[in-house]
Amino acid sequence: MLAVLYAGFTALTVGAQFEGRRWDVPAQVYAAPLELYSGRALSQDDLVAELKRLGYREDPRLPAPGTYRVALGRLEISTRGFDFAGDIEPARLVSIAFAGGRIAGLRDKQGKDAAIVRLNPLLIGSLFAAHGEDRLIVPPQEIPPLLPAMLKAVEDQRFDTHHGVDPLAMLRAMFVNVTSGEIRQGASTLTQQLVRSYFLSNDRTWERKVREALMSISLEMRYSKDDLMYAYVNEIYLGQDGARAVHGFGLASQFYFGKPIGELELHELALLVAEVRGPTYYDPRRHPERARERRNFVLQRMVDEGLATNKAVQVAAERDLGLVDNTRRSATQSAFLGLVRRQLSSEYQRDDLERTGLIVLSTLDPTVQTAAERALDTGITALGKKAETFEGAIVVTNPQTGEVQAIVGGRKADYEGFNRALDARRPIGSLIKPAVYLAALESGRYTLASLIDDAPIEVKLQNGTTWLPANFDNRAHGEVPLVRALAESLNMATVRLGLDVGLEPIGDVLQRLGLVQKPKLYPSMLLGALALTPMEVAQIYNTLANGGFRVPLRAVRSVIGEGGKLLQRFDIDISQASDPAYVYSLNQALVQVMERGTGRAVRMQLPADMVVAGKTGTSDDLRDSWFAGFTNDHLIVTWIGTDDNKPTGLTGSSGAAKIWAGVLHALEASSYTAPAPDTVADEWIDYLTGQPMAEHCENAVAVPVPADQPIEHPFGCNGETGFGARIKSWFRGDGR
Amino acid sequence: MNALPLSSVRNLVVAVLCIAGAACTSLQPAASRPSPPISTSPAPSPSPTPAPPPSSRPLPPPNVPQSVPPASRSSTAPSRPQSDASGASDALLAQARDERAAGSLTQATASIERALRLDPNNAELWVERGELALQTGNTAQAGTMARKALSLAGTNSTVSARAQRLLQAASAR
Repeated sequence: MLAVLYAGFTALTVGAQFEGRRWDVPAQVYAAPLELYSGRALSQDDLVAELKRLGYREDPRLPAPGTYRVALGRLEISTRGFDFAGDIEPARLVSIAFAGGRIAGLRDKQGKDAAIVRLNPLLIGSLFAAHGEDRLIVPPQEIPPLLPAMLKAVEDQRFDTHHGVDPLAMLRAMFVNVTSGEIRQGASTLTQQLVRSYFLSNDRTWERKVREALMSISLEMRYSKDDLMYAYVNEIYLGQDGARAVHGFGLASQFYFGKPIGELELHELALLVAEVRGPTYYDPRRHPERARERRNFVLQRMVDEGLATNKAVQVAAERDLGLVDNTRRSATQSAFLGLVRRQLSSEYQRDDLERTGLIVLSTLDPTVQTAAERALDTGITALGKKAETFEGAIVVTNPQTGEVQAIVGGRKADYEGFNRALDARRPIGSLIKPAVYLAALESGRYTLASLIDDAPIEVKLQNGTTWLPANFDNRAHGEVPLVRALAESLNMATVRLGLDVGLEPIGDVLQRLGLVQKPKLYPSMLLGALALTPMEVAQIYNTLANGGFRVPLRAVRSVIGEGGKLLQRFDIDISQASDPAYVYSLNQALVQVMERGTGRAVRMQLPADMVVAGKTGTSDDLRDSWFAGFTNDHLIVTWIGTDDNKPTGLTGSSGAAKIWAGVLHALEASSYTAPAPDTVADEWIDYLTGQPMAEHCENAVAVPVPADQPIEHPFGCNGETGFGARIKSWFRGDGR
Repeated sequence: MNALPLSSVRNLVVAVLCIAGAACTSLQPAASRPSPPISTSPAPSPSPTPAPPPSSRPLPPPNVPQSVPPASRSSTAPSRPQSDASGASDALLAQARDERAAGSLTQATASIERALRLDPNNAELWVERGELALQTGNTAQAGTMARKALSLAGTNSTVSARAQRLLQAASAR
């Protein structure tokens, strides 16, 4: 009597629970799709590497999307295509020629030139809950027909006919279990496995067994076999990736093979089915032999059941496991995912991100990300034994659009890792100086040619003490032009300039450039006592690299919700932070940092004809080594320090700048160029003294000055502006 | 227990749909996108026009005539420095103009922004993007993008003139 009541109760509750519950589907985050076009700097090797990362396989017949071949010096790809809320890229056949590390030509199937083609974006991860389930739903029509058949053959041969439990299998299992004195052999139907995964804990008690059976029968009465199979394919646990539990065949396909389930070959599908029995025990990455044996057992069952021919199975059984390298991918891109989560968390509830199956199209550029990770790793290693405890962080953006292309949060990033790019707040040292000089230019009282005295200066502080700032080389350089004071990062000249301009306008410049909090206005701010994260530094320098226009840095382009509906697009959003003419002038000084100043050594590592702009930063006692610099395509901020804030012995130029150059080198980036605004004109001055001089003279440097305030035109190399020089110039025809 | 009530069938359909779509609750961003947290102080030197206040205007009705018509396809940028991506960005610009002419402003915006990622120093793309901003009622963005285009146009008088017209149109609203 009690048993009947219990059965009825179970049956009632299970249906309600099953109907009431949804799967937790964390937001899936994709990288930016790779754009292929003629002229793009991309070698054939790099493109093939990218294709492999996307799970494309080489096949000389190009039988289906997701394959490629190398033929007659061209790379031919059958692309997958995609449709993200109406942003459609059709699947197509393209043929690509390369020359000199670039794409030299792009043709479609008909042999016509194609302007631009996108590859499907790389799935980089998901915003799962801490220690949570992750899955990628496979809709019923996309389940490979062979998969249910294989599951039945291996796990539940009478699935089509039983009512949730399989008494024959149970009897057999019970016999084994009774003789061995414990529960050893499972006889669970797929329905029971589903119930166990969905509703129950995994303890092996008789009470739970009974409950599981009753619930299974109840589910079978309410749902069709197709519905149950569909639920099973998306529910079942198939692997572990750090804190993330991999559920369902859709995500397992990406997790093990890096490609969609529809492209799996026989041996790959068989491996996934093998994992059902125990993803830890049969972990193909940890126990490849065990996994292979189980996979081949699955293949043999297929022959037994007539699902595949002996020949096909023999071929499949000889294949390698074919796993995609997941260690790198899961460990490193977590820093970027951290930024994605942060950007979205201001507008989406945590539950929305972790449970409702959003698709997030991000700005990550996998090529840039890889280059940045390698540069940090090799750069710190190259510093030698003392660098063992050093940590680092990198942020790379596209300055004009504000899109974050890569983030490195440390040498060994993982899910629980400290994301230094977002959270390590350190004094920025001389990285602050461009704000001081921009405020000086904006005041209208200074140009880059103006002189400032780099001589000892006493600053009376509010607490009654006196501050005596000193230069890094402990020398005074006398009267120098602003361009040199910034290029060589002269402290005494900068403090004198900053006090003359005023702390208020400098704080205002910092906020316009993108600093969110209002900085505390102490004189020590002038030499970078301000502590910022690499990401905050990137926002400020991005505005400089963008010619004075501020774009909020973004990691997300759009968010797609239920039914493929576009929920939100993050369009470019720019505002003017400073007059482009002043920022143009400032950036010319940042070019001189690289040509003649503190960035000169690292500039030597780059191609001779390349123009870059940048600034070094070093905090007190050499604790933090910073560099921020840009070309037209990339703004890169690098930081090196230790987590316990110990001195590193590094300046900005001996540490972070080298890593910066390493990233840039790997990116084959273009130069920094900017058209001169028509409100400024170039004047030639002596870099050392600021005196006007002719272009051909030694140490002559061109600096932009307001076009309506021409300085005395130079005629010789020693400030000759006298009558004789003027007469000579008339004969040369360049006087005015 | 054998009989399956009608409501159960409906629930089943809902459950399955939930499974398929993986999201049953209606999902909206928690708030509209916050505006940038920093107010921009006006440019300190003679800037061509004062920046208009941030716009929160509704979209203009579809039949409002465009104040800045899409430029003809033939307008080229003779003095623009050739970027590696100029072929690709030209193709995307042409696509964006087709979409704009067909009234698909969201798609056109997406195409232009795609072009800007590849060829960000192309002043013509910024003018086009600004004209789209104006057309969708975002005059503040339109004005800033016009200024951005002017800062990149260099000696390209065709693009400069278009940017100036855009700036005037944005200030006039």
